[in-house]
Amino acid sequence: MSYRSELTRTWWLKHHAFKAYMLREATVLPLFFLLLSLAMGIYSLWQGQNQWQAWQLIMGHPVVLVVNSIALMASLYHAWTFFQLFPRVMPIRLGEKTLSPKVLIAAQWAGVASVIGLFAWLFRGAL
Amino acid sequence: MTQKAKLKRSGEPIWWALFSAGGVCFAVFIPATIVFLALLMPLGVVELSYSQASTWFFSFWGLLFTGAVVVLPLFHAVHRIRHGLHDLKVQHHGLVKALGYGFASVLSIVCLTFWLLGFLN
Repeated sequence: MSYRSELTRTWWLKHHAFKAYMLREATVLPLFFLLLSLAMGIYSLWQGQNQWQAWQLIMGHPVVLVVNSIALMASLYHAWTFFQLFPRVMPIRLGEKTLSPKVLIAAQWAGVASVIGLFAWLFRGAL
Repeated sequence: MTQKAKLKRSGEPIWWALFSAGGVCFAVFIPATIVFLALLMPLGVVELSYSQASTWFFSFWGLLFTGAVVVLPLFHAVHRIRHGLHDLKVQHHGLVKALGYGFASVLSIVCLTFWLLGFLN
């Protein structure tokens, strides 16, 4: 009879690499909260001006602000792990040379920065 | 293995495609969305009036916004929650899958319906 080790629910606490993996899995929890609040925003916008203002007040509630700040950090952590994976999954070749992973990672962060730039441009009147 | 079992199709490629597309959106579009809509706007640093918001959202841009910022990240989140629960040894795989993707689908349809109603209005 062969020996089979029992995996417990806390297996991932035993090594820092497993903890990092579970932390990355957990980045979607504050994201989930953010998505629910955005869905609520879409509904409020459809309802009209009063609901829209009520939604803005809810978004300004300290607890909501804290959870969404955690969501921001989680999204950046996710981006950091995700951007490192991309050059490994999809190495890009230009002729004989393979594009350096550093270039691809930098290009992806430039993408994040340009979306922030796009939002800033959309809000330009109010900044 | 019988011929029938070999040919059984898996839904996994669909969930994986939604997961990876959502992962890109989570990394690229979500940080900016949080900074502006969930932090700067509620703190009063930037303003977004009802007329500005509804004009912009109930146009073609709103459809792109809903897809890239709500629907795809939602399927990404559900996929990770599903696998996270598996890692925590939650055994009810079929139930978790049905509830997760069911919820993501319903919420996506609701958001897209409100966009469509506003767009047609």
